[in-house]
Amino acid sequence: MTQAELARLAALAALEIPDDQRPALAAQLERIVGYVGQLATLSTGDSSPAEDAAPPPRFRPDEVRPSPLIGSLADFAPRFAEGFFVVPRSKGPGGE
Amino acid sequence: MNLEAVASETAERLHQARHLNATLAWSAEALMAEARRVEALGSSGALHGLPIAIKDNIVTTDLPTTCASRILEGYRSPFNATVIDRLRAAGGLVACKTNMDEFAMGGSTEHSAYGRVLHPLDGARVPGGSSGGSAAVVAAGVVPVALGSETGGSVRQPAAFCGIVGVKPTYGRVSRFGLVAFGSSLDCVSVFGRTVEQSARVLAAISGEDPHDATSAALPPLALEPPRGDLRGLTFGLPREYFPADLHPGVRAGVDRAVGLIRELGGTVKEVSLPHTSFAVPTYYVLAPAEAAANLARYDGVRFGLRAGDGTDIAAMYRATRGRGFGPEVQRRILVGTYVLSAGYYDAYYAKAQAARARIRGDFTRVFDAGVDLLITPTTPTPAFKAGDKTADPVAMYLADIFVSAVSLAGLPAMSLPAGRDAGLPIGVQLVAPAWHEAPMLAIAAALEVRLDPTAEVR
Repeated sequence: MTQAELARLAALAALEIPDDQRPALAAQLERIVGYVGQLATLSTGDSSPAEDAAPPPRFRPDEVRPSPLIGSLADFAPRFAEGFFVVPRSKGPGGE
Repeated sequence: MNLEAVASETAERLHQARHLNATLAWSAEALMAEARRVEALGSSGALHGLPIAIKDNIVTTDLPTTCASRILEGYRSPFNATVIDRLRAAGGLVACKTNMDEFAMGGSTEHSAYGRVLHPLDGARVPGGSSGGSAAVVAAGVVPVALGSETGGSVRQPAAFCGIVGVKPTYGRVSRFGLVAFGSSLDCVSVFGRTVEQSARVLAAISGEDPHDATSAALPPLALEPPRGDLRGLTFGLPREYFPADLHPGVRAGVDRAVGLIRELGGTVKEVSLPHTSFAVPTYYVLAPAEAAANLARYDGVRFGLRAGDGTDIAAMYRATRGRGFGPEVQRRILVGTYVLSAGYYDAYYAKAQAARARIRGDFTRVFDAGVDLLITPTTPTPAFKAGDKTADPVAMYLADIFVSAVSLAGLPAMSLPAGRDAGLPIGVQLVAPAWHEAPMLAIAAALEVRLDPTAEVR
């Protein structure tokens, strides 16, 4: 795994990774991805759609129901004001 | 029963066991409040007066819930998990919140932001994980039972390492409302106990459909069966893939002891095959990180938990919050999950793992359809390993799950039962049942339990 690939993944995952940790982390990810890569040896030529299908989801009626919250959102939000979660400005791509 | 005495004795034992680093939150005052609450209920509940430890990824309003992560340090949930409400309604006392691998990712409880948990019999060793704190407090005699959670063996594996009972129900048997999500197609609230009977009683109390969890099965609470006197008429399968030539000899001797007892009690034992077993760990370590990467996207510093960064840019705030709030193993799994779901890799990893999962599930279906009532395997490839032995190599740690992850992928009920000790370290035997067959599995386990001295050396 190259440093460029790690940087791409870290951006997708919104993770800040200090520069001094990147080489060791890239080596660990390389090892993990190499290990799970043995799935490539599984023959799926005899795949049957019925066997591969996940169990069907159970849907509930689309209606408003009481929430069991015991407190206010403001009690556990890092910043909350006038009914809104307060966040910094957006400056990156698509932002200011 | 003097409930206030139960509360104060539990508090004293929690205090005595603090060197294990197995708990993250408890107080004598909260325990006393639990005792008074149960007192007011009367004495009719199935768990009346039973102190129960709770893994710290199950939310509670009166004690913090951190998932052993800095990102949730001090977090207090605005609601209780359904399993907490059900334990309390049955007369149980919430005793404490227990230490764990951060967000349930790990097999040794070394990946906690609050330090590792010590094995109660040998402090240099790990108790297993990720529910290592819950396993340790039960094994140390602090509480008789505890709740943990399983995504890929996180209750059965520590139960085997610590010499106690660990039961994972069928996927959907127990509500996950209030269980912090890790791998949603795999997560199950599961139970530790000193005995099969107490574990079964707790599992029955928390089971049953929950309108707050769309994945909970539309079934009534689990109806338990009395312990079996003998095992005549039952067929037990030994999957050959779970008995490799290099299996630890102490583990092999422990399972042999259980198999010998099954034969003595009239059970039929035969070798079977689960041919896709070797794909279980790699399949798990694609699917669970993929689901984790999605589930853990919610920790962004906006609505709850830690917020980091200088407050000038929201994208930088997300990165700083997550980079500083998540520990190394959680970050590795998020990155692996992001990788296997990303463009260009999805088919080779994620889609392939879903196909492998279907084949692993099919292996079990074929064996049970051919007349096997229960599978018997080792729970772990070795007894409890030493702290630090596997932290440098994530894949070595993942391979400690080799006998437990296939069952999780198949969504089946399974348990670990103490089968004795090797050089003083506990050995677990795993029982695996068809979906929804927890009651007969527990009745068979109870028959074995009375004849398997958990402290006897197996060789």
